[in-house]
Amino acid sequence: MFNPETIKQQFPIFKQKTPLGQDLVYLDNAATCQKPLAVIDRITDFYAKEYGTVGRSSYWPATETTKNYNEVRGKVQRLLNAAHEDEIVFTSGTTDAINKVANSFLRPRLNAGDVVIISEMEHHANLIPWQQICTEKGALLKVIPILDSGELDYEALESLLTNKVKLLAVTGVSNALGIKNDLLRIIKAAKGFEVPVFIDAAQSVAHSEIDVVALHCDFLVFSGHKIYGPTGVGVLFGKRERLREMAPLSYGGGIVKEVTIEAASFQQSPNKHEAGTPNIAGVIGLGAAVDFINEIGYAEISAHTKAITGYALEQLKAMEGIQVIGDVDDRAPVISFVMEGVHAHDLSTFLNEKGICIRAGHHCAQPLMHRLNLMATARISFAIYNTKADIDALIIALKETQAFLS
Amino acid sequence: MNDRIKALYQSHILVNAKDTSHQGKLEDATHVLEAYNPMCGDQYTVSLKIVDDVIEKATFDGFGCAISKASTAVLTKQIEGKTLVEIKPFIELFHELVNELSDQSPESLTSDEDLLAFAAAREFPERKVCATLSWEELLLSLRGSMMK
Ligand SMILES: Cc1ncc(COP(=O)(O)O)c(C=O)c1O
Repeated sequence: MFNPETIKQQFPIFKQKTPLGQDLVYLDNAATCQKPLAVIDRITDFYAKEYGTVGRSSYWPATETTKNYNEVRGKVQRLLNAAHEDEIVFTSGTTDAINKVANSFLRPRLNAGDVVIISEMEHHANLIPWQQICTEKGALLKVIPILDSGELDYEALESLLTNKVKLLAVTGVSNALGIKNDLLRIIKAAKGFEVPVFIDAAQSVAHSEIDVVALHCDFLVFSGHKIYGPTGVGVLFGKRERLREMAPLSYGGGIVKEVTIEAASFQQSPNKHEAGTPNIAGVIGLGAAVDFINEIGYAEISAHTKAITGYALEQLKAMEGIQVIGDVDDRAPVISFVMEGVHAHDLSTFLNEKGICIRAGHHCAQPLMHRLNLMATARISFAIYNTKADIDALIIALKETQAFLS
Repeated sequence: MNDRIKALYQSHILVNAKDTSHQGKLEDATHVLEAYNPMCGDQYTVSLKIVDDVIEKATFDGFGCAISKASTAVLTKQIEGKTLVEIKPFIELFHELVNELSDQSPESLTSDEDLLAFAAAREFPERKVCATLSWEELLLSLRGSMMK
């Protein structure tokens, strides 16, 4: 039987008290998740017992490291249900992967007058890289607007699609509001115009099963640290033909066939796209995080985070003076709200005194906040270790803060 | 609610954050400053009327947390009537007041309760930027064109 309390025990950070002596109530999982012992131990063991480089070194421990590193590629392939292992490229994170696809895929294919489509709810990471290349090339960056409910205006998307569109980049889930996008619908519409589709899955992979074959997306990216893995590692999924037709994401050692002073020829992907010594420990740790997710299983993870989200929404909506942002039936485990008369930063300082971690601000989504006429919101977001008791502690603290500040 | 946090938000700060006496834009402003914290989005426009190197009037307009709002309100209230030469040490005093590494006790720096209230920020170094946002901007302007 699934029990979040026993899951919590697998995360060493919760065994400690905060500097003020409380239990830690961690509700900023959309920013980054805590790490289970299995991931921490795997990284420690790697450094302590089997550390070497990856590539063609023919000695132990490098042979062991190379085998383990490449096994993680297979694990990620299965996690995303990708058709081929070589469709998985390791990056340093979501931001890195987006910049690399922007440079290596979009830039050479974009001409003046072309169009790139994003949505109004993108994280700055899935906006600025495309924006900068559009500006450089004299191309147009068009935006799928959101409705007042926070959902994307899918009909507006259909009117934006033409054969001038060179890429559509959209997030699976709004990191600021928790709104889930109908990726199947978006991708189907885009494919009608043969538009390549790039999915920012940074907020998706921790709680919901992804199937890149069923989705039919060309690219999909996420970060290790948001799925119980280490920082500094991320994944770029790219369809085989896309990764093959692209120039290397960056240049350096480990990716070449033959090099002269004048020229270089390159290996096939994924090697072609992983120049330099990669974040080996990060990748190994990511493998342990994928194992951790698989051991619990997406069915349990989704059911649990959904139940916690529902419980939190119910409690928040029962409070006076709280406005939950975004009006949808089914949301990811991310809730943004404002408390009347209390600025989100003051709220977060108060909650910190209770050992409760929430996020306050614009959540790296300024265009979305402008659209909603908000300067800042308080955001809570959940992971597999959060319990109803966490929500109860939050609600009590919210009421105390409200009584004191407003 | 523990004492630390109560001290930070003690009535002086909450009262000043709600004080609208110096809110608004000055029609006859000679200087307009934009204090903006891109990390959190807090943003204030501070309007000054400076005549013969004396700040005759100061008001502000904008949005942010209770601490940045209160500190901007206190700033605009307290600089009125001061000369540009007096302003710089006054801002430096405020910085010292909120500086968690300072070896001077808040009470040895000032007896003004509106200012002293911000000394609680010493316990919350991550909120120091809120307390000093508008003060910092004024200091930058003084160092720049305003003095010339
Ligand atoms: C939707 C979304 N995209 C991109 C990012 C950037 O991820 P990272 O900082 O790991 O590169 C984040 C994380 O904050 C996110 O939530």
